[in-house]
Amino acid sequence: MEINKNIQQSLLNISSLPTLPTVIESITRLLQNPKTSAEEIGKAITTDQALTAKVLKLVNSAFYGFPGRISTITHAIVILGFSTVKNIVLTASIFEAFKSSDNAVCGFDLEQFWTHSIACGAASHALARIMGNKEKEECFIGGLIHDIGKLILYKYYPEEFSSVLTYANTEDILFYEGEKKFLDITHEEIGSYIAQRWKLPSKLQSSVKNHHNPLPVYDNYINTGIVHCADIFVRALDYGNGGDKKIPLLSENVWTDLELENRSLVSIFDTIQDEVEKATEFIYLI
Amino acid sequence: MKKIPVEKIESGMILGRNVCGPSGSTLLIKGVCLTTALGRRLKNWGITSIYIEGEEDTPLEVYTSSISANKLKEHLTQKFSRVIHNVVMKKIFSAVYQHRLQKSK
Ligand SMILES: [Fe+2]
Ligand SMILES: [Fe+2]
Repeated sequence: MEINKNIQQSLLNISSLPTLPTVIESITRLLQNPKTSAEEIGKAITTDQALTAKVLKLVNSAFYGFPGRISTITHAIVILGFSTVKNIVLTASIFEAFKSSDNAVCGFDLEQFWTHSIACGAASHALARIMGNKEKEECFIGGLIHDIGKLILYKYYPEEFSSVLTYANTEDILFYEGEKKFLDITHEEIGSYIAQRWKLPSKLQSSVKNHHNPLPVYDNYINTGIVHCADIFVRALDYGNGGDKKIPLLSENVWTDLELENRSLVSIFDTIQDEVEKATEFIYLI
Repeated sequence: MKKIPVEKIESGMILGRNVCGPSGSTLLIKGVCLTTALGRRLKNWGITSIYIEGEEDTPLEVYTSSISANKLKEHLTQKFSRVIHNVVMKKIFSAVYQHRLQKSK
């Protein structure tokens, strides 16, 4: 088997890596000015038609609590607030960036992958809510993009991806363990590289980079821990499939630091299920 | 109206009843034209059977949507096989098992 061991190097030379719509940058700039109005943000977003359509679909989903009732971006900002809408735009942009990932790798179902990702986002959101964490939306995006590196592998290194996938599934191990055997890089590193190119907040880069082994010394440790748990919980609940059929070990320090010992796991799963269901419509955005 | 498992969904079938997720929110509205892709999608979200338009009525019990306790346990045991020695993972296992059993009732 001929495996490209030098992904680390060659990744830097791919000129066609997915990009986020330019609107994201203009919104970030606008939001730095406290005097920016809802109309101005609305105008900036609507310059991108495809993105606007996706944003409107998202704001009208059950997940945000006003299904079918928001007709314009400005209206969305008034009801949901700047920061929520900004995160919704980012979510829509991520779907937009990956909309044409259509090469086929045997044994890998993109829809299952996105189901896993969306469910992990929703579960992260639910966990943040349960824990009184104010950064629910950031946790949602952290969960949504945690495995984005796998999608880059899938798109740009289909042979390597397929070897890892086949190995993981025949040996009945984690995709992550397969990567360590075949590649010089993991989906965590690839993902954080993309997040960095996209100029996503460094906290998000860190949670993508460390979602399999969050340590207290890393930036954004608590939110990364939430994504780490969410990934494991949605695997246990069988929402979609991120590339393997196994459950990873939950980090001991995360278990302690999120104080999961004192909580009812069964009711956590109930809440997660509720939230994941509200996010089911997101799959229509891919 | 006829109840069928999601695996049996064929393109062109018409949904006879709303499909609700286990916690009650509506996922699909009756009257919609089904496709095999939609069937796969429903399965991904944990739906096991649906009603379609048609002459014959099937008694509710024929395709019971609940996955049996034994099957669930077997499935989870396989998934957790490499981590079940760990105390925390044991707790997660039994909580997931309990949650999913309740949900399938
Ligand atoms: Fe991962
Ligand atoms: Fe994952």
